[in-house]
Amino acid sequence: MGLLTNLARGLVRGADRMAEFTSKRGPRSHNKGRGARKVGYVTLGGKFIKIKEMVPEFVVPNLTGFKLKPYVSYKTPKGTEPPLTAKQLFMDVVAPQIETDIKGGTFDPHNLEKYGYEPTQEGKLFQLFPKNYVR
Amino acid sequence: MRLTALLAMAARMKLPPDYRHGIYRPWTAAAKANNPPGRRRKKVFVEPISKEDWKVFRGDTVEILIGKDAGKQGMVNQVIRARNWVFVQGLNTHYHYIGKTANYPGTYIANEAPLLLRQIALVDPTDRKPTEVEWRYTEEGERVRVSLRTGRIIPAPVHQRRDGIIPEQWKDGPKDTSVDDALDRTYQPSLKLFEEEILELQGIVETRRAKKSYWY
Repeated sequence: MGLLTNLARGLVRGADRMAEFTSKRGPRSHNKGRGARKVGYVTLGGKFIKIKEMVPEFVVPNLTGFKLKPYVSYKTPKGTEPPLTAKQLFMDVVAPQIETDIKGGTFDPHNLEKYGYEPTQEGKLFQLFPKNYVR
Repeated sequence: MRLTALLAMAARMKLPPDYRHGIYRPWTAAAKANNPPGRRRKKVFVEPISKEDWKVFRGDTVEILIGKDAGKQGMVNQVIRARNWVFVQGLNTHYHYIGKTANYPGTYIANEAPLLLRQIALVDPTDRKPTEVEWRYTEEGERVRVSLRTGRIIPAPVHQRRDGIIPEQWKDGPKDTSVDDALDRTYQPSLKLFEEEILELQGIVETRRAKKSYWY
């Protein structure tokens, strides 16, 4: 709203002082970025070393036979799915396995790794805690 | 300006608390010309009606009780809740010339004037007379408007989209996902993370591990 009040009253009086000072303004020596992330580091000599792992790479799967398209038809009825919780995931994936094992008599409470239990996050590429993936 | 700030500004207009709502919507140029920021006008007193109590919607048939066109029925064109205004199509009009130029006298146009809720009454479909209406619940639990004189349910007007699309008559284009494909549940729940699944599917093998770091 500061911008609007200035526009209404200040177009007669002068420039917009609230506008962001971007890289498009200022003299030639004014060099600033627009928020791009760094892909390496600058050495003491001034050379920039690019790290391949920091450069984003798009992993695109093969989309032949993929049925979903950019837009959704207007005919689809509105609705929501219940959000996926940890409990729901457990009941869907792990609980049936444990049930069959108990009925078969092979359930071992000391060997829960076969149902997906992870005692530590050490040695894993994507650790759940502390979370080391972006999503 | 930052994109997020611009989008937020565009999404919802911040109006001052003593803003006088007029015939034009606040984001239109005419409203901005009539209500520049900083203008303060005498307060207009509006009967407070809560959102749940509101009974008149666009598309309803309504009879005018007071005014020049008293006794006539029409369809509601527009509703401005901030002032308790209702515009009935073709009724309560005043006439004027628009598009007047040096040579052309202009087109004679009829403009509807707003009507307050007190000057309006919903029409009962059985005898097509104005009635008092109340919000009540049906056996199924649906909230409906009921005419107090006859007890007949006044059906809600058919909601038409502003862009004119009728979903039942829509023909899917090449970029539209069909209804079956959109509603198809193809999710297989698994304990794998999305990233781990993608690694497996793409056949990427990653044996390096991140160096252990500590934070306090």
